[in-house]
Amino acid sequence: MKNKKVQRISWVGLIVILALYPKIFGIYYTNFFVTFAIFAIYSVSFNLLLGYTALFSFGHAMFFGAGGYGTALALKHIQGLPLLPAVLIGLVSAVVLALILCPIVVRVTGSAFAMLHLAFGQLMYVLALKMRNITGGEDGIGGFPIPPFSIPGIVSIDMKAPENFYYFAIIVLGLSLWIMWFFTKTPFGQIQVGVRDNAMRIDYLGFKVPQTKAVVYVFAGAFAGISGSIFALFQNLIAADSGFGILVSFGAVINTLVGGLGSFFGPVCGAAIMQILEELTTRYTDRVELVAGLILILVIMFAPMGFVGGVRILKQKWLASSAPGGKLEKAS
Amino acid sequence: MNILETKGLYHDFKGLEVLFDVNLQVQEGERHAVIGPNGAGKTTLFNVITGTYRPRRGKVFFKGKEITGAKPHELARLGMGRSFQLTSTFNRLTTFQNIRLAILSKKKIRFNLLRKVDKMMDITKETDEVLKRINLEGERNFPAGVLSYGKHRSLEISMALATDPDLVMLDEPTAGMSRDETHYGVELIRRLTEGKTAVIIEHDMDVVFSLADRITVLHYGQILAEGAPSDIRQNQAVKDAYLGELEA
Repeated sequence: MKNKKVQRISWVGLIVILALYPKIFGIYYTNFFVTFAIFAIYSVSFNLLLGYTALFSFGHAMFFGAGGYGTALALKHIQGLPLLPAVLIGLVSAVVLALILCPIVVRVTGSAFAMLHLAFGQLMYVLALKMRNITGGEDGIGGFPIPPFSIPGIVSIDMKAPENFYYFAIIVLGLSLWIMWFFTKTPFGQIQVGVRDNAMRIDYLGFKVPQTKAVVYVFAGAFAGISGSIFALFQNLIAADSGFGILVSFGAVINTLVGGLGSFFGPVCGAAIMQILEELTTRYTDRVELVAGLILILVIMFAPMGFVGGVRILKQKWLASSAPGGKLEKAS
Repeated sequence: MNILETKGLYHDFKGLEVLFDVNLQVQEGERHAVIGPNGAGKTTLFNVITGTYRPRRGKVFFKGKEITGAKPHELARLGMGRSFQLTSTFNRLTTFQNIRLAILSKKKIRFNLLRKVDKMMDITKETDEVLKRINLEGERNFPAGVLSYGKHRSLEISMALATDPDLVMLDEPTAGMSRDETHYGVELIRRLTEGKTAVIIEHDMDVVFSLADRITVLHYGQILAEGAPSDIRQNQAVKDAYLGELEA
């Protein structure tokens, strides 16, 4: 009972903080937060594959890019397309891409899966570079109209104002986060982690392993697509490097490993840590990737379960040393 | 009625013949043991029946239906469960979650994305009942990977049985258990397979003779003898090939 109350209060607190955030921190840090939220959702969708199903992808950016390009192209070519359908088109583009790939990729595991994704990811990148008349090549697609968020006859909110876009992005991404979290709690989510631990036994228990992986794969792709779509709207630009680039794929890997792949919110922490580090690094040097790589090495060496795993261990140590039982044990 | 039947089953690994015209018949409701020396082809026979391999030749029938070469999940849905010689559980999931996966399979809940599994009280209740029956309530929230060997084996066997199959195939259920654990394991299997059909591969002759209603002796990929435990004990060919070594 008490726990529930605390939970409810902290939820309300979180919502109040998020609502007041732009007023308190100003425009620069509002945009900073939107960027973080986009990559947090993107990394969580990646972790559905890596942490929950043991599918290691080096090409998750292709869904991010597909979402971004889908939304950007739709807004560029369809006159007067409203905001939510534009995001939906981004999501559908990523889902279509995932549906095309999943018959192949669900039949491989381990390094074959990783390498196949590296190849497909780079293929998408090269396609985005070379099909200039559609994708705009290196320059990408920019300057497309950003429609207002409107419910006809009731409300129309201008999305060009950063503060309004912040609220829109936070709601869409928050909802995405909640859906993904719920996904892991369903019976299907249990079967999913069963596939991670022991795919053969799942088969012998009467569940279809490839189909299970396919559902997870499409689901993860869909939410990477949403984050890409929001990213394209946020920047009013999507280009080969920022959409399909290899660093976008690696970004998900780094965020997940740094944050902790053993937990749902690990990648969220990872995204926060990496973005704050990047912010601090750019004040001194341009070599952001060098620092990110160094951090990754340190994390893998000293905290293989990432930030969340490290915190858990510290918490257990603290509990063990502060509990009376723990002290007795030490004394004897 | 024969719930399981193989007709003229052959299997080889790159020319090495492992099964040679095996005609196995398992009647409904019996505990049927498959015994034989190392390398006799017992596990291969299991793997061919349960869908790990497709037999080179011959047919497998389950409940009167041909299932030759069917996939493991198809067989599981038809009502055939299986446990493994090398413990094969979900080691990062808790004991409770391991059994719950079997219960979900039994209830045919596969692609449910609309409810939280923790809120499905009927599933939780049934899982807890199974845990109680197999004496693992104390380890309910431990990851399966940290269980002691004997308990881990119990979990392995129980997962195969928790789906409530019509036929359960137990591959050396007491493999590697200590004497006490084996004793407990046998009792557990006896209790859990009560009124069910079970095929058991076993090395431990005490286990075989105390559990089995009927025994098939496999020797170099061929069936050497088949019959009630007392007949097998008396059978001269079996004594020469297998039992003799033990009783001498």
